[in-house]
Amino acid sequence: MRTNRTLFMSCLLAAALPATAFDLGKIDWDKAVKTVQKVQKANTEIDEPQEIMLGDGIASNLLGAAPLLDNPAVQKYVNRVGRWLASQTERPDLPWLFGVLDDNDVNAFATPGGKVFVTKGLLVRMSSEAELAGVLAHEMSHVLRKHHLQAIKKGAQAELLTDLANDAIREKGGDPRLTKLVSAGTEVYARGLDKNDEYEADRMGVVIAARGGYDPYGLPAVLQTLQAINPSDSDVALMFKTHPAMTDRLSRLDQEMSGQFDQFENQPDLAPRFMRTLGAGKK
Amino acid sequence: MKKIIALCLLLGFVPTAWAAGYAYTIRATELKAKPYSDAQTLATLAPRSKVEVLTRQAGWTQVKSVSFSGWVKMLSLQLESNAQSKRGDSGLGSLFNVAATGKSGSTVTTGVRGLSEEQLKNAQPDAKALQAAKRNAASKQDAQRFAAEGKLEAQSVDYMSGGQ
Repeated sequence: MRTNRTLFMSCLLAAALPATAFDLGKIDWDKAVKTVQKVQKANTEIDEPQEIMLGDGIASNLLGAAPLLDNPAVQKYVNRVGRWLASQTERPDLPWLFGVLDDNDVNAFATPGGKVFVTKGLLVRMSSEAELAGVLAHEMSHVLRKHHLQAIKKGAQAELLTDLANDAIREKGGDPRLTKLVSAGTEVYARGLDKNDEYEADRMGVVIAARGGYDPYGLPAVLQTLQAINPSDSDVALMFKTHPAMTDRLSRLDQEMSGQFDQFENQPDLAPRFMRTLGAGKK
Repeated sequence: MKKIIALCLLLGFVPTAWAAGYAYTIRATELKAKPYSDAQTLATLAPRSKVEVLTRQAGWTQVKSVSFSGWVKMLSLQLESNAQSKRGDSGLGSLFNVAATGKSGSTVTTGVRGLSEEQLKNAQPDAKALQAAKRNAASKQDAQRFAAEGKLEAQSVDYMSGGQ
């Protein structure tokens, strides 16, 4: 692979030279180097449409594992909260989609390209729209910073991601390598993201909630609720296993939010709208 | 339904408020008269003081005990982890048939579907479900209207750099 790449780059370099340029003095080295750098980058980074396509595949898998909650009012509501928050971020135009999974497990998932899911088990433990906003904003931060793609790169199928970036994987027609990559992407939820990515998503999540005009303490409030769940409860097994300890996350947020979030403490948590929507959705 | 409401009133439950739970202070904590940093300090609670949790307002939690009541920093508390302490139990759990407590870890996951580690590793795609989910998506404009209804006002806030 290494030799291949060197050979490839030499060829490319040669191609970048004018036909008469074997006099080294005349080579436009800057231009040549830039061309090589550009191609190198294209070799390792998938573009946005590919990111969305991969994320849709992973989202299909998640929905294969747990169905959507059959409650259009609640689904619409979660989408509105999420879409409003997404508009406050650096990737406002992704095809953001939010959904509630009909499962008692307490967890939330984000797929590359902007599909975000929370479980029913997590949703019913919340008390306000600000808490929902905090959780969605945490998940959205994983999408914004492409944490999931980083995790795939560290896994056994990293090369398939490079193949996708190189257009060596066809998007249509059921390329088996794409299926394999999507499976690898789904398995990331079983092993979890990097701890520091979780801390970063917490830090970004409270900011995005504040940007949306919400009480920014929604996310820490949810973490505090989860902290009090008995760890031997099977509903929290995977979430606890794949995330840093709640105590660590809370103590970091405590330090990070101290002082500078006082200015947002009059922003609404919209608990009544949350309770009304969830209560009315289930009759 | 009327009977349930009557029962709630009888038992003194306030709709949408949290069921009473207990918490401990995780450090020496100032008890404030109001949920603001510059509010009057009523007392300083020692670490591991047990308090009853009433409600939360932004970064502040209203607490009481037999000898005091007031507001403390939310993140100076750790909620008590037992069935009696479920600040997060708003009653939605029973509404959606989710048992919020009391399940042991010995539950065996049966069947192919589910969100356990093993089940996620063997997940099979459901593209139709994704298409159905997309029908619930909100447009930017729709979300903006929704935010305005809730009197949410967008703020300009910078991300924080990792301090640790």
